[in-house]
Amino acid sequence: MSTLIKLSNLKKVFSTDEVETHALSDINLEIKKGEYLSISGPSGCGKSTLLSLLGLLDTCSGGSYILNGHEAADINTKQRAAIRNKEIGFIFQSFNLISELTVAENVELPLTYRKDLTKTQRSELVKLALEKVDMGHRTKHYPSQLSGGQQQRVAVARAISGNPSIILADEPTGNLDSKNAELVMALLDKLHVEGATICMVTHDPRGAKRAERIIEIFDGRIVSDSAVSQVKPEEAVA
Amino acid sequence: MNMLSDINFAFRTLVKNPKFTALTVFVMTTGLTLCIYMYSFIQATLMAPLPFDAGDKIRKVDSIYNGMEYNGPSVRIHDFEDLKKRVQSYDVFDAYKEGTVNISTSDRAVRYTGHYVKASFFEISEAKPLLGRLLTDQDREPGAEPVVLIGEAIWKSLFAADQNVLGKKLRVNSIQKTVVGVMPASYRFPDSGQIWLPFTTSRKGIARADGEYVAVYGVLKTGVTDEQANSELKTIMAELEQTYPKLNSNKSAQVRTIQAALMGNDTPAIAFSMELSVGFILLLACINVGNLLLSRAFEKGKEIAIRTALGAPRGRLISQMMWESTLICFISGILAILFAGLWLENTNKNLLSIFPFEPPFWWNVALSESSIIAAVVIICVTALVTGLLPAYKATGGDFNSALRDGTRGAQSKSAGRLSKIIVISEVVLSCALLLLSTGMVYSVDQQNKFDYGAQVEGYLTARIGLPEIEYKSNEKRLQYYQSIRTTLQQEPGVEAVSFTRTLPGQNARFQNISIDGVDYGKKAQYPSSNSVTVAHNYFETMEINLLEGRIFDPRDKLDSPLTAVVTQNFVKKHFKESEVIGKRFKFIGTDKGWYTIIGVVNDVLHGLPMSNNIEKPTAFVSLQQAPLRFMTLTIKASQDPVALRATLARITLSVERDAPAYNIKTLRAFITERNAGMNFVSELFIIFSAASMVLAFSGIYGVMSNTIIQKIQEIGIRRALGADNEDVFKHFIKQGLKQLAIGLVIGVPMGIALVTMMEKASLTQGSMMLYIAVPTFISLVILLAVLYPVHRALKLEPSTALRYE
Ligand SMILES: Nc1ncnc2c1ncn2[C@@H]1O[C@H](COP(=O)(O)OP(=O)(O)O)[C@@H](O)[C@H]1O
Ligand SMILES: [Mg+2]
Repeated sequence: MSTLIKLSNLKKVFSTDEVETHALSDINLEIKKGEYLSISGPSGCGKSTLLSLLGLLDTCSGGSYILNGHEAADINTKQRAAIRNKEIGFIFQSFNLISELTVAENVELPLTYRKDLTKTQRSELVKLALEKVDMGHRTKHYPSQLSGGQQQRVAVARAISGNPSIILADEPTGNLDSKNAELVMALLDKLHVEGATICMVTHDPRGAKRAERIIEIFDGRIVSDSAVSQVKPEEAVA
Repeated sequence: MNMLSDINFAFRTLVKNPKFTALTVFVMTTGLTLCIYMYSFIQATLMAPLPFDAGDKIRKVDSIYNGMEYNGPSVRIHDFEDLKKRVQSYDVFDAYKEGTVNISTSDRAVRYTGHYVKASFFEISEAKPLLGRLLTDQDREPGAEPVVLIGEAIWKSLFAADQNVLGKKLRVNSIQKTVVGVMPASYRFPDSGQIWLPFTTSRKGIARADGEYVAVYGVLKTGVTDEQANSELKTIMAELEQTYPKLNSNKSAQVRTIQAALMGNDTPAIAFSMELSVGFILLLACINVGNLLLSRAFEKGKEIAIRTALGAPRGRLISQMMWESTLICFISGILAILFAGLWLENTNKNLLSIFPFEPPFWWNVALSESSIIAAVVIICVTALVTGLLPAYKATGGDFNSALRDGTRGAQSKSAGRLSKIIVISEVVLSCALLLLSTGMVYSVDQQNKFDYGAQVEGYLTARIGLPEIEYKSNEKRLQYYQSIRTTLQQEPGVEAVSFTRTLPGQNARFQNISIDGVDYGKKAQYPSSNSVTVAHNYFETMEINLLEGRIFDPRDKLDSPLTAVVTQNFVKKHFKESEVIGKRFKFIGTDKGWYTIIGVVNDVLHGLPMSNNIEKPTAFVSLQQAPLRFMTLTIKASQDPVALRATLARITLSVERDAPAYNIKTLRAFITERNAGMNFVSELFIIFSAASMVLAFSGIYGVMSNTIIQKIQEIGIRRALGADNEDVFKHFIKQGLKQLAIGLVIGVPMGIALVTMMEKASLTQGSMMLYIAVPTFISLVILLAVLYPVHRALKLEPSTALRYE
């Protein structure tokens, strides 16, 4: 399998007022196409920051990030938007649906930023995505009229509606009960089987177990990178 | 207890947010100050009652001639006497006359405006003399001793305030009269009088055509309405028209209050538009402050929801929030009353320079009791409107959904809807207001820049009135004008000297005419024209251009056939063909015969630069052929005309001791004074425009940037989903445009309707330029209010935007 993402000595520093936060330091990581990666670590260690960099939602302060053979720093704003739109699907812990839009409109939103799709093509894709997450019966509802699990399923539908090659999920089950969490995880499994590259931040060992590879971060540095089979048995059980 | 702690809480909130407090107080104070000022000003001037017992029943009776409404002495004595015999609606129905009065003492002569009055004049105006007695109806009887009642000013200047002035003689219009009383300076009914004489004018022995014009007043019987009095007048005037078709064709009459007669019929329209404008401004201020309070309330939405969930009664929450707006309005109200009071005081001080006439005696521009009461009412209503709605809205939400709403970064839906309504109403109000006020300012500016058709810079003008008895003969009058001219012309700095009955900018006599060879039928509907008597060199002196034929020259003499020089409007209005030299016309209702047109000159504006005056035709007739006793002297100066004042005064006195020059001023000053009233109104409207622009802009910007700040997370989401900067801009512009379009669709027609209403009162001219410029300006404001906050939001990295709280 070919390399999709290559991070070398990646660094991210946030400067607010007088405080400098070294959110990430010396990150070296290679992700292959189709890999299912889980990232874990204590709160504030830099997981979300890493995901933001991967998703071109932020720029690094040092080092290099090569995406699909291109240096990320050299990609202009417009192209970055296009890559996020076509290649990347985001799933957030807090769903991040837009409250004024209906379920269908939320799912359609990323598709509207593409100039190459007609209205009918878009609604076709929306229908497909909503059926995948089993939300086809709630298209006209507003997010506030849905339960948390339903909202997250809509968010997943939105992330996958454009068939992205990378899914970036930041604690997608953090706000869900175990039943809904299970549902969302099953969806990610299915996407992985279909060929998507998945990077998922999670605290939940049961979730992490589903991945093929687990990265652990501590204080902005990668402290372990291992295949799932090497996970300690007691952790897998817990 | 609860209330006190609520007030205390609201007060602490305000102190804790000084920026917010300052902004809201500033906005509210601006709106309230304008509103209180305007209300007080209108109440103290245009709407002020006469301070007499019968004050609300006193009316002026004025004639309407050819659709023009006249005021002042506008009723022919014959018509007055016929009316007096027939009217039923009045307890008092009488006339007085105004006239210039020459008073000469051994060493000087001065002119005053005199009132020739009956006893009822003093009765209805509750006059009380300072010394001596008022005039009685016995004084008016033939053979009575000639008497005069003088004002305080004359008493002081001519008699050095002598307590023994009663019984002293005064030479008035070349006749010795006995002083019987002194009036206090405060007595100024119906305008500033300085000297009073018995009214002796009568129709007896005078042909109807030669009848003098008098001013008619009445006191309506109790229960008689203006409509009834008007319809009675109309009926009687129509009967008179039947009886005297020549003199009374197209003539009617109307009653008006003294106030309306003085201020003109445009007054209600101006007052209405000013009150409407400040009302709009106050509304804008309310919306802005209400919105600021509301968005604060929504920021606290979760807190409110928690409190509601914990069982706080809604009434209590509303009252807590209400106190905040009440405090803001209370502080602003006190400031506004203070500012409005100072402003009014300043206006009162400057009234003399603002208005072309001495302000009427019933004006007292100050904060009156009624306007303070009105201010308090306005403030209370404002506090309620700005406070209640946001409080009601903020506490009315479904607290349950507010607590569990898991969606990020978005206002609640009803808050979003409300902010859209706010932007739309700001667009509507500011658009209508800007169209009206810029329309007003624009047309006043056009008026100020108006080409009068004559040169108006560099002239000194003065009125001259020759004493009647010494100047009965035409030859003597002509001699006088001749010698004034030759003497003045020798003075250094004098380039030319001429005379006219009516200056450019001044209302001219507007008379019915008939054109030779036109059959006007049985019930004649005559056309009309200004008539202006001028000296022969008037056209060159005033730089009025001859377009055709010739101007007056020595061929036009007392005993030669009458000639006239007419304006282009005259030709356009009265003749189909353009060749008019040699055509004849005459003035209806005069004993003058046919006038032959000898020349055509460019249009000259007589009256204020408003459309009805601009279109009026004018016929100039020769002073040589009809030497009047009253003329205006105009000196073309080769230097600063003001420097010639003393020369002018000295030389007129040296030529005729009993005909002192008065109203000495430059033509420019004369025109400026006449336009001063409208300029004052225009200045107010400039303030209105500025206030509405500032309020609307800050309001729209505030709402928009607030909306966008609340949507920063949404922007982050959209960008994470692949929206580039262009997409984000487009999204928000589209939203802004929707609100803009709705606002303009309502606001533009509203503004145009207001302008059209003002146009009917010939106060403004609509202008296509403004109809385009104002909406464009508002669109730019909206665009800016969208683009700038979005631009700032886009500077954040998407990841930061997503984390934004
Ligand atoms: N926009 C930002 N500005 C300043 N500090 C930030 C910003 N984003 C993240 N951080 C800091 O970077 C560190 C890593 O944050 P994050 O990646 O969100 O951690 P987590 O692993 O919990 O997702 C934290 O200390 C956080 O406070
Ligand atoms: Mg995180």
